[in-house]
Amino acid sequence: MGRGEGGLTLDATAPEAAAPARRRRRRFDLTTPALLAPPVSWLAVFFLAPVVYVALYSFNVLALPPQATGFSVSAWHALIHGGVYLSLFWKSVQMSLLVSALVVVVAYPLAYFLALSGTPRKYILLLLLIAPFLTSYLLRVLAWKVILGDHGVINTFLSWVGLRSAEHPLSFLLYSRFAVMLVLGYVWLPFVALPIFVTLESLDRKLLEAASDLYASRLQAFVRVTLPLSMSGVVAAFLFVFIPTVGEFVTPTLVGGTSGYMYGNQIHDLFNSGFPDWQIGATLSLFLLGVVAALTLVFIRFLRVGEARAA
Amino acid sequence: MDVALSPSGRRVIRVFFGLVLVFLYAPIVLLLLFSFNRASVPAFPLSGFTLRWYEDFLHNGEMRAALETSAIVAVLSSVIAVVLGILASLALTRRPFRGKGLVTALLLTPLVIPLIVLGISLLLLFHQFGIQLSILTVAVGHVVISVPYTILVLLPRLAQIDRALAEAAYDLGAGPWQTFRWVTLPLILPAIVSAFLIAFTTSYDEYAVASFLIGARETFPIYLYSQLRFPDKLPQVIAVAVLVLLLSIFVIVAAEVWRRRAEARLEAPA
Repeated sequence: MGRGEGGLTLDATAPEAAAPARRRRRRFDLTTPALLAPPVSWLAVFFLAPVVYVALYSFNVLALPPQATGFSVSAWHALIHGGVYLSLFWKSVQMSLLVSALVVVVAYPLAYFLALSGTPRKYILLLLLIAPFLTSYLLRVLAWKVILGDHGVINTFLSWVGLRSAEHPLSFLLYSRFAVMLVLGYVWLPFVALPIFVTLESLDRKLLEAASDLYASRLQAFVRVTLPLSMSGVVAAFLFVFIPTVGEFVTPTLVGGTSGYMYGNQIHDLFNSGFPDWQIGATLSLFLLGVVAALTLVFIRFLRVGEARAA
Repeated sequence: MDVALSPSGRRVIRVFFGLVLVFLYAPIVLLLLFSFNRASVPAFPLSGFTLRWYEDFLHNGEMRAALETSAIVAVLSSVIAVVLGILASLALTRRPFRGKGLVTALLLTPLVIPLIVLGISLLLLFHQFGIQLSILTVAVGHVVISVPYTILVLLPRLAQIDRALAEAAYDLGAGPWQTFRWVTLPLILPAIVSAFLIAFTTSYDEYAVASFLIGARETFPIYLYSQLRFPDKLPQVIAVAVLVLLLSIFVIVAAEVWRRRAEARLEAPA
């Protein structure tokens, strides 16, 4: 769809004389603004405007009574110099980075197999891989709560077969950083295979044959042809996991305990606890949004450079 | 020679694939198992088969009410999201206009916004205008989440359709609405159905945004979450969740199979 082609300009093709058609057109005028106005204004009102309100709260231009309003950067000061929030943010970033990296590393060979092995059951296997992602998120987290608990499946199983006594369960399994990362990885794994699969699928197999004709081993062909060409899918997959997990609060609340407490929990608690602080909460949200936006922009730039190089 | 995989590499990846599938499905199978287990605490050894938890669910009015509330929110939000998605996709594929890149970016950005930020920002907006939180405010949030998905499903399908078809309709005197109704709509109907289902299941399962925007009437994920605090309710919650889960897998797989068939049929020369 090149821009130069021009859309269907109705006036040029619609018969001028057809009066009923013209009346109908006036009632249902499919001009560009009419098409765009509803979706764009919905997002402007319920997506962009709310972010502006977050900013107003973070600078105390608006405030939750009884706090007095008045422009102030104190919340930003608390975020940047307080240490507590930033270190929590850093901890969340580390956890998310590790989860995203692990999940991409696990998903890559799966996507590679599906896209390049020529297996006839490609789409069935892909559907099988993705299906868990389409099921209830809470339920999948709940399943791990049941599995990892002190009286959970693993510990009762271990004591049942006599490997460990019931009084000394493996208690690090639940309510820990480990539990949060395991569950986040479990939840996102089915999804990351998809973007990698898509880029690998669009890869021209002839390139690999050419590499092979030029005496490249499979490993060399992979490192020098396949991997670089699939990097955009890898980075997209990575971001698709990193962005939602770094602001996650549901999973850490359910399986994280105190050691699995994340930045998202902090934001959540600033709005939902008995002592809400909307100013700090809004500031932390805006900061998270800024980091995510910056990452996305860097990624898009990366894609453009990749495309330009490929062209 | 296979250039992508050596025979032994193929075997290794196959085994690995199998292990990953076990890892993905084992927890779900375990839940299924415990939903038929007699003991009220999910633990080994299993203590006998029962349908009690499923029966309890039938008599649990609160839970049924939550399922219904979620259905209402999901239908409402996905209908709106699909309509907005169709309009946006039509404009993006059929019209030249300035700032297309910017508009596309705006329409797709909700994909990469942490849900907690979306929830909080809408909470502040509604608070500012004194709007009472209710299932409508949740639906508004869910529309924002779903619009990008509907566009991602509809856009490629619209781009695929031969424009000559619409032009032919215009030449035959059809107005824009008639052309849409009788030419474009039938061709994109399979994509509309799958966009609707994706939006529906997304909304039905959404907790994070809903937790900030919910009023007195609980959606199913909110209810499910609140019940997790009571261990004795666990088996019953598991039973219902298993039902919802199986139903959603079935609907999604069936819809995908149907869409592929329908689109193949539309492609086939008459």
